[in-house]
Amino acid sequence: MSNFSFISATGWRCGCCNKELQPRKVNVEYMGSVFNVELMVCPACGMVLVPEDLALGKMLEVEQLLEDK
Amino acid sequence: MDQPQLRKLEATCIQEEAPQCSAACPIHIDVRAFMGCLAGEDWRGARRVLDRTMPFADIVGRICDEPCRKDCKRAEIGDPLAVGRLERFCVTTTPMVLKQPRLPAKGGRVAVIGSGLSAMTAALDLARKGRNVVLLTADEEIGGSLRDYTEEMLPARVLAGAVEILDSYGVTIQFGSSLHKEFFAIVRQDYDAVFLDKDLAGLASLPVDCTQPDPLTLAVGQDGCFAGGGSTENGFSVMKQVEDGRRAALSIERYLQKVSLTAQREREGACPTRLYTVTSGIPPLPEVLPADPAAGFTRQEAVREASRCIQCECMECVKQCAFLQEFNDYPKRLVRKIYNNEAIVQGTRTSNKMINSCMLCGQCTVICPHDFPLATVCRTAREDMVAKSTMPPSAHEFALQDMEFSLSEFSALARHQPGRDSSRYLFYPGCQLAGSSPAGVEQTYLHLTTHLDGGVGLMLGCCGIPAHWSGRQELFRQTRQALQAEVGRLGDPLIITACSSCYAVFKEFAPQLRQQSLWQILEKMELPAPKTAVPPQPMAIHDPCTVRHEPEIRASIRNLVKKIGIATKEQPYAGELADCCGYGGLMQFANVPLGEKAARAKGLRSDLDGLAYCAMCRDNIAASGGRIAHLLDYLFPSAGQEDPLLRPNPGFSRRHENRARLKQHLLTTLWQEEPAMAPAYKNIKLVIAPQVMELMNKRHILEDDLQKVIHQAEQTGRRLVDPENGHFLASFKPVRVTYWVEYQPGKQGFIVHNAYSHRMILPGDVK
Ligand code: SF4
Ligand code: SF4
Ligand SMILES: [Zn+2]
Repeated sequence: MSNFSFISATGWRCGCCNKELQPRKVNVEYMGSVFNVELMVCPACGMVLVPEDLALGKMLEVEQLLEDK
Repeated sequence: MDQPQLRKLEATCIQEEAPQCSAACPIHIDVRAFMGCLAGEDWRGARRVLDRTMPFADIVGRICDEPCRKDCKRAEIGDPLAVGRLERFCVTTTPMVLKQPRLPAKGGRVAVIGSGLSAMTAALDLARKGRNVVLLTADEEIGGSLRDYTEEMLPARVLAGAVEILDSYGVTIQFGSSLHKEFFAIVRQDYDAVFLDKDLAGLASLPVDCTQPDPLTLAVGQDGCFAGGGSTENGFSVMKQVEDGRRAALSIERYLQKVSLTAQREREGACPTRLYTVTSGIPPLPEVLPADPAAGFTRQEAVREASRCIQCECMECVKQCAFLQEFNDYPKRLVRKIYNNEAIVQGTRTSNKMINSCMLCGQCTVICPHDFPLATVCRTAREDMVAKSTMPPSAHEFALQDMEFSLSEFSALARHQPGRDSSRYLFYPGCQLAGSSPAGVEQTYLHLTTHLDGGVGLMLGCCGIPAHWSGRQELFRQTRQALQAEVGRLGDPLIITACSSCYAVFKEFAPQLRQQSLWQILEKMELPAPKTAVPPQPMAIHDPCTVRHEPEIRASIRNLVKKIGIATKEQPYAGELADCCGYGGLMQFANVPLGEKAARAKGLRSDLDGLAYCAMCRDNIAASGGRIAHLLDYLFPSAGQEDPLLRPNPGFSRRHENRARLKQHLLTTLWQEEPAMAPAYKNIKLVIAPQVMELMNKRHILEDDLQKVIHQAEQTGRRLVDPENGHFLASFKPVRVTYWVEYQPGKQGFIVHNAYSHRMILPGDVK
């Protein structure tokens, strides 16, 4: 999932900073593998949004793949 | 698993053994495949099966004396298959499809003396192997005794076709040879090996005794001489000619290669098979006879007759087990996959899911004619994965955390009966009954304390079977030891076990603990007057898989049920053959959809309302839509209890809470003790709609997890907000899983709209 982009317009805003989320590259990690992916993130505090379809879709798929490696 | 273990296991499953028909066929024609092709109107496919193994199929297929027929499995329930007539149908309606290749010419000169079918077969087989073959016969035509068949049975032109075939493989035929003594001397000089067809007049005049060839090799007195075929005391058998010709050709081939004539030849000729095929329940259809016997089968008749073939196989275990059906394979092949999975050092271990999907229930072992131990194999494989750190973390973590909670200060308890300082008995309901039916546990305990003398202690906890099933041997050992120490502290009372999984664990792994099943105790006890009316219609008892080897417990259950007036009707997959509900082996956690299938399948074994005495069976079957009650619901109903048949599956969160509340409740009401302080996040009140709850159950998310997320979010203010609807979205990673919850503050508490989780670690998370 490295170099994947999961950005899409979202109504969620950061509740701390009251800012709109913006696409940003972040590192996510599982079982020792690090992936640089583009997610919607609060530009001020860095809070990351993982939407449901990502968590239960691509992320789950990659998690299971890594678990069987 | 090492190679020898793998071999031994593979040999235990006989699914791949030959069916009776091909085992009984002297040249092992794949009769089952032949029947399958004909039944499917694959005429060329059927002919190909014959061409692959049968020499001169146009001839032999017309006159085969079908020695396999008597062994056909259908004979057990009626008429065996008309193998011979179907072969005749095949070769008379479909010309040759497969011409066997001829291997490159090798050295070695072979003389075949005679013109009968064994001579023909020997000559053909050796020529195919690239040997230089000469067929010498005093006759003027090919066939020997085959020439006695009527033109209708075996037309002369078909028989004569053999000459062309032999010719095409380079066999030289010398008709009209005179077989005198000097001739034989010349033959011995000119050829490396000789085969003598006993279907030959004048054989006795030759200076070699052919009367008693060695049965395995067909060798006769002189070195390099072999003899076979002809009539025996049982008359003339076509397939005997073929068998002997083929056997002699193999001997000669070995003789020319100068290798052992005898090694590894047990499987040549008719031989026994271990294939196991159950014929009970198969309708005994009568043999299809051709309307015109002289003309033989029409196509339709052939299809109908071939369709009677059972397509013999074993698959007995696969027919019953939801796991084996899901992975669509039989144990012989699965153990090979498990072996290969273990051998992978780098790369994807594609069988992890399969290994974690076995319910470890042992049903297959009971069904299998050779007791295939698949559960042990899968559990050992899991232990191996844990030892090598290749066990996927997501498979069992949720169940193991549940176990941890059952053993924690919030749910676990061990006390003497209130007001006493010793216990003769110790009631051990087990974690799942406490989670499913805390009121049932309380009622049962009160009943036991009032009816048994000498003090009945109570112990809430977990026997550790989730650790055992998930391959965590060390954790299992620690759990057991702690439990044993606790029982020791209470003075080693007799444990009254309600759950049959706990019973199985104590029996196998802690035999020093004295225990008796709750049901055996209750059976001998005065029972409370029924408060809930038992259903008037008969119910089906669903034995849990863990009592498969406990006939006494099963008998006690049936006595109890009778005693309280429940009528029952046994279903076939009860008792020793009981299915697992999906909880066994933690399968329902490692493979959620398969868990649901297994529970449904168990429930559907009977169309009557179900009666369970294992909390997990009860809840899983109820979750799959079955109407099922727990026996305790009728024995010790609690006040205001709903219809036991309609009690819903509590789900994971409720089970969790039930255990904690049971402990709190009993501590305060029975022992007048203060329960442990709940952590602050427990004060978060949640409002969860049933469909959200169901989603959380499927996703293995507990209310407890959501309380932690919301507590954290509300404390720190770190949450996303949707200005349109005022919903918040927050995440938290208590241990390894990150939980997300979409919520909104409400009057009664936080309204949960959605919840999901992932295991990927986000930046800023603690690893
Ligand atoms: S039923 Fe079919 S496969 Fe079984 S023994 Fe008979 S012919 Fe062979
Ligand atoms: S019951 Fe299953 S394991 Fe046993 S021989 Fe048959 S297919 Fe193999
Ligand atoms: Zn922010």
